[in-house]
Amino acid sequence: MRYRTQWIAYPYFVVAMLLFGLQMVFGLLAVAKYLGPDPLLNVLPFDKVKAIHTNLLVVWVLTGFMGATYYVVPEESRTEIYSERLAYWQLGIWTLNGVVIIVGYLFGWTAGNKLLEQPWPLKLVIVAVMLMFLYNILMTIRKAGRWTTTEGVLVAGLALAAILYLPALLVFHNYTVSIFYRWWTIHLWVEGVWEMIQAGLLAYLLVRLSGVAGELKKKWLYVIVGLVFIAGILGTAHHYYWVGVPQYWLPIGGIFSALEPLALLGMAMFAYYAMRRSGLAHPNTLALHWTIGSTIFTAFGAGLLGLAHTWPAVNKWTHGTLITSMHGHSAFFGAYVMINLAIISFAMPQLSGRSEAKREGTLGYWAFWLMMAGMFGMTLAFATAGIAQTYLERVMGLGYLETQLKIQPHFLMLTVTGILFTSGVALFLWDFFRMVPLRAPAHVRESLPEPVTAP
Amino acid sequence: MTKRHTRLFFIGGTLLFALVFLALTVDSHRQFDTLTNADRITPDVAAGKDVWHRKNCINCHTLLGEGAYYAPDLTKITQQRGEAYLRAFLQNPSQFYSEQVHRRLMPNPNLAEDEITQVIAFLDWVSNIDNQGWPPRPILVSGGSLRGAEAVSQPGAAASNEPIALGEALFRQTPPGCFACHSTAAGVALAGPSLAGIAARAAARVDSASYTGAARDAEGYIRESIEQPHAYLVPGTMYSAGGRSFMPDNYRETLTQDQIAQLVAYLMTLQ
Repeated sequence: MRYRTQWIAYPYFVVAMLLFGLQMVFGLLAVAKYLGPDPLLNVLPFDKVKAIHTNLLVVWVLTGFMGATYYVVPEESRTEIYSERLAYWQLGIWTLNGVVIIVGYLFGWTAGNKLLEQPWPLKLVIVAVMLMFLYNILMTIRKAGRWTTTEGVLVAGLALAAILYLPALLVFHNYTVSIFYRWWTIHLWVEGVWEMIQAGLLAYLLVRLSGVAGELKKKWLYVIVGLVFIAGILGTAHHYYWVGVPQYWLPIGGIFSALEPLALLGMAMFAYYAMRRSGLAHPNTLALHWTIGSTIFTAFGAGLLGLAHTWPAVNKWTHGTLITSMHGHSAFFGAYVMINLAIISFAMPQLSGRSEAKREGTLGYWAFWLMMAGMFGMTLAFATAGIAQTYLERVMGLGYLETQLKIQPHFLMLTVTGILFTSGVALFLWDFFRMVPLRAPAHVRESLPEPVTAP
Repeated sequence: MTKRHTRLFFIGGTLLFALVFLALTVDSHRQFDTLTNADRITPDVAAGKDVWHRKNCINCHTLLGEGAYYAPDLTKITQQRGEAYLRAFLQNPSQFYSEQVHRRLMPNPNLAEDEITQVIAFLDWVSNIDNQGWPPRPILVSGGSLRGAEAVSQPGAAASNEPIALGEALFRQTPPGCFACHSTAAGVALAGPSLAGIAARAAARVDSASYTGAARDAEGYIRESIEQPHAYLVPGTMYSAGGRSFMPDNYRETLTQDQIAQLVAYLMTLQ
C-alpha cells in the first residue's frame, strides 16, 4: 500500500464480508426448506429467503468491486483518491440502503421481479450511489491525468454496470417485454460488464503477483473483453428462449452463447501464461490461489456448465429446472466471488501492514480448499438433481411435486456440501477479521517492500 | 498484433454487435403485440401482473420457465386447472396439498377475492403467449406415480380414426387437458378423481340413492360430467365447494359434440 487513501478499500471489504456471511445463513435456510417440512412456512417462507440470498450476493459482490477499485485506482493513477469523505458517505448510504432492502423483503416490501426485487425508490438510491462512486473515481483519474489499461477496463466496467441498471427502473405493461428488458440488466451485467470488471481486476492481480511488465499482456486484455462483448451481447438471446419473443432469437442465442466460453478460456490462458513466465515467485501464494482458481472455476462454471444447457434443443427440456441453479451457483462463485476473495487476500496483508510472506498459519488455505470442495460438491448436487428432474418431470411426465420427492437425496447432498462451503466461508471471515488493519500510513509504507513492478 | 489493433477489435466488435442487438430489439417490438396477444391485456390482466409481483410469486414458482425452482411452473396452469379450482386453491392452499406428504406447501398468499380474479386472468393471458411451443410436453403440478400414468406416452396423433382412439388422443391433449387432473390408474388421484374403472362406477352411481343428476346410464353419466360438472358432485373437499365442482364447466362450448362423443367412447372403455 503506497497511497493513504487505498485504505478506503478496507471498510468496503468489511461490509462485503459481513454480507457474505449473512448470505450463507440464508443459503442454508433455503436448502433446509428443500428438505422440508418447513417450520418457518408462515414466518419466513422460501420466497423471502431466496430473494435475500441472491440480493445479498449481488450487493456484497458490488461492494467488493467498489472497494477493490478504491484500492487499485490510486496505484494505477499514482495519486490519492479525489475525496475520501465522499467515499465513506457513499459506503454509508449504500450499506443503509442495502439493510433497508433486506429488512423490507422480510416484511413483504418487494417489486417481485427476479433479482430486481428492490422497491423502486430504493433503486433510485442505488443509481445515486453509483453516480457518487463514479464521480469520485473519474475525478481521481482526471486529477492524476494518467490512467492505465487495467484501470480503464475496470472503471469502464463499473460505469457500464451503472448504465445497464437503468432499464431496471422502467416498468412495462406487458410481462414479456418486461422480461426482455430485465435481461438487459441481469445478463449484460453478469455475462458482460461484470466480466470486464473481473478481467480488469485479474490483470491488476497478475501484474502485481507475477511481476511481468504490463504492455505485452494488456493488449490481450482488449481481446478478452472484446470476446466478452462480441459473444455476450447477442448471447442475451439465450434468455429469450420460450418467453414470447420472435423465433429468430433461438438460433442467435444458440450460436452466440456457444461462443461465450471463448473469453473465459482466454482469461484462464492469460493467467496461465503470466504465471509460467513469472515462475510463481510472489510470496502471497494465497492470493495466487484465489486468482488462478478464479479463472479456472470461471471457465468451468460459467463457461462449460453454461454451454451445457444453452443450446435451444437442450434448453427446451432443461429450462426452468435445477440445471439453472447448477450453472448459477458455480458461475457466480468462480467469476465474482473468487475474484473478490483474490483481491481481498492480496490487499489484506498490505492494509494491515504485514509482510505477505509472514501470513500466519494455514487457515487461509483451509478456507480456500473447503470453499472449492464445497462449491464443487454443490454444483454436482444441483446437476444431478437437475438431470433427474429434467428426466422424470419433463421427459417422463411425472408431476412436479412427486419429482421433487424423488430427488430428495440430491438435496441431502446439497445440504452437506453447502455446510462444507459455509465452513470455508467462516474460516475466510475469521482469517479476514483477525487481521487488524493499520491506519498509520507512514508505518505501512516503511514496513513494506516496494511493489514488484512499476505499473 | 499491437495494442492498437486489439483495442480496435474490442471497440469495433462491441459496437457492431451492439448495433445488431439494437436492430433486433426494434424488430422484436414490432412483433411483441402479436406474439403476446397484447390486445387481450385487460385491466384485470394488468392488475394480476401487479399481484404476481407484489406477492413475490416468482421467488418460488417459475413462469415461462423463469423464476425460482421451488414450486411448479405456472405457464400453462389455467389450461390444466379450471378457474373454480384455482380460486379455491388460492383461498387456502393447505386444503389441497399436505406438507407431510409433499414436504413443501404454499403459504396462504392472503389474497382478496378480486386479487384472485386478477391473478388468474393474468395467468390465463400468459398461457396464451406464443412461446415457441414450450413446454414441449405438459409440466404437471402433481402426477401421482409413474405406474400407469398416461401422461407418460407422447400426446398427439390418434392411433386410428375410430372414435375411441380419437377420444384417447384428445384426453391427453392440452386443451382440454383432461389428463392433467384425471389419472386412469387405479388409486392415483390427482386434482380430480381417478378415472380407472369409470364405466363400471358410472353404471353403479346412476342407480345409487345419492345420485343427483339426470343421467340414466353410464354413458349419459360421463357425458353429463363433462358438460355439466355441477349436476352431481363427487364427494371430497378437493373436488368441489359450495355446490360447485372445481372442474371447468365450459367444455360444452369449447369442445364439439363429436369430440365429447369421442371422449365418452374412450372413457367407456375404462371398465
